Amino acid sequence: MLSEGLRFRDIRNTSTFRLTLLLGLVAAIGVVALLGLIYGLSARELDSRSDRILRAEAARLEGIPRDQLPDHIRVAIHRSVSGLNYYGLLDREGRPLAGNLRGSSGFVPGHVREIAGRSGRHGPVRLLAVRTAAGETILIGRDITPLVDLRRRVFEVLAFSGVAIALLILIAGTLLSFAPLRRLGRLQRSAHKIAAGHLEERMPILGRGDELDLFAGTVNTMVDEVGRVVSQVKAVTDAVAHDLRTPLTRVRAQLYRAGQQPDISPLLAGKVEAALADLDMVLERFAALLRISELETGSRRAGFHTVDLAALARAAIDLYGPLAEERGIALTLEAADGARMFGDDKLLFEAVGNLIDNAIKFAPAGGRVGIRVRSAGDGVRIEIRDDGPGIPADQRKAVLRRFHRGAGSEEVEGSGLGLSVVAAIAHLHQLSLDFDDAKPGLIARLHSPGR
Amino acid sequence: MARILVIEDDVTTAREIATELTAHGHEVAQVHDGQAALDMAMREPFDAITLDRMLPGMDGLVLVERLRERRVLLPVLMISALSDVDDRIAGLRAGGDDYLIKPFASNEMAMRVEVLLRRRQQSSESAILRVGGIELDLIRRKVRVEGEPVRLLHMEFRLLEFLARNAGDVVSRRIIFEQVWGYYFDPGANLINVHIGRLRKKLDRPDKPSAIVTVKGEGYRLDAV
Repeated sequence: MLSEGLRFRDIRNTSTFRLTLLLGLVAAIGVVALLGLIYGLSARELDSRSDRILRAEAARLEGIPRDQLPDHIRVAIHRSVSGLNYYGLLDREGRPLAGNLRGSSGFVPGHVREIAGRSGRHGPVRLLAVRTAAGETILIGRDITPLVDLRRRVFEVLAFSGVAIALLILIAGTLLSFAPLRRLGRLQRSAHKIAAGHLEERMPILGRGDELDLFAGTVNTMVDEVGRVVSQVKAVTDAVAHDLRTPLTRVRAQLYRAGQQPDISPLLAGKVEAALADLDMVLERFAALLRISELETGSRRAGFHTVDLAALARAAIDLYGPLAEERGIALTLEAADGARMFGDDKLLFEAVGNLIDNAIKFAPAGGRVGIRVRSAGDGVRIEIRDDGPGIPADQRKAVLRRFHRGAGSEEVEGSGLGLSVVAAIAHLHQLSLDFDDAKPGLIARLHSPGR
Repeated sequence: MARILVIEDDVTTAREIATELTAHGHEVAQVHDGQAALDMAMREPFDAITLDRMLPGMDGLVLVERLRERRVLLPVLMISALSDVDDRIAGLRAGGDDYLIKPFASNEMAMRVEVLLRRRQQSSESAILRVGGIELDLIRRKVRVEGEPVRLLHMEFRLLEFLARNAGDVVSRRIIFEQVWGYYFDPGANLINVHIGRLRKKLDRPDKPSAIVTVKGEGYRLDAV
């Protein structure tokens, strides 16, 4: 679910953001490869240019007679043109005969070698060794500091542009994700309103014909249909209510009147009384069924407000305490202050009261019934625990079915609709109702999903 | 005896309501549509009205609103064939004083009318309520039985106060649950019985019959003993 304010976590999860990031990554790889290629080619070009200078100078020195060579080397060092500032002449054993180069090992005649700079002594150098006909070695070195600097600069530009591109992609991705995310937030708020029973609400459509518009349109069609069905059900319920309730009122009134006649025989009076009792039971179930279907339309959510569940549970204890006491049952409450939820206090009281009433009915004389109210994260949890026979695991769903009468309940009064009413109230409040084993006994639990 | 206006479009139901209220000693006038009802309520003096929520020509809610606008402050018992969940709230908000859902038991309806009439009579009452030997001080919320103070819990006091205000009349468990506790579901037979039992224990004196009488199948009545 989206949070109220836009958070980076929400943006990070959008498909726009991911797509931008992916495309950006591909573009960045391309740019890096291109810059790398430019860097590699220019570095090679610069190296080979410097090597050509080295080889030309070597060829010149090779052409000079042996006895003049040390003088030429001295002059060359003195002039130091084109950065050619290192020269050396080594004898067969590699001992220096002339020049400003001392190093003697690791040279392969005819090949260029690069030597890293030593701070305070010399910069980086490319060195060419040439073997003369007399078996001596001429060394020519070129200080390549400007070249290395250039290489480093190219590398820095490359790295900087890489980081800049990555940042730009991130910013672009974030900015591009804002608009769809805000739209999604609006869609989600409509969806929540619809889920809360406001079936007149519709998802906003911008008219761009994009995928979000298509989606919103589909959902709106769905909500139209649901709204139509709900109002049909409501119309049927109202019609049933009106068309059956008035005749039933007449029947009951006339039957009652018949029973009130002074000349009625005792036998008939008994029959009338029994018929009235049966009729009242039918009427009670009828009322409960209508009530459930009305609760299920969810229209009552419009009147919700904040309900203090601890206070509600205390009021329930006050109401049911004497009933428990009469049966010798200890009724206890463990309620966390601050357990609150958005709801209808009268209906929540009815649900909790109904569960407590059941627990008292099924707990053995001298048993215990415990109520526990807690807040759990953003949600709540209400538990009613008894030490009665409990409900076998395979029947725990069945007890929520309308008119279900569990084994062992024959002696207990009730229409069989009590738990269905509780379930309808729970559903209206987006709470789950389930049953657990209290070992021994039953735990009836009303809780926010996942708590 | 009170004069009661019965507004109900179903003639049979209207007749049954009238018969039951007459049996309770009241004088009854019947009307079957909204406009006639409004005219009659404005023209003639009545003590209470029973009003069907669904009337031809005018919604019962609108009718009760019109009555209140015209300063007709009679107690109104709304009777509805709609279910109770939202309708009760709407009915009471529009200005109804009590709400009954069809199908109802005639005696329950009559009880509710009696409760409304009693409430009206007592609107300018004294601070002390006396029923036989029972004396309720409504301001200090103290009770004496034969002059001896009796300690009652908050809800016990409210229960006794409600019974005392309707002394001599039977009130059903359902009415007690609604008026004393403020809840609109069926509390089951035992629950109110137990609370009545506790109250009895505190009020009863060994030399006298119990002041709270159980009327089988109907409810309870507080008698002067």
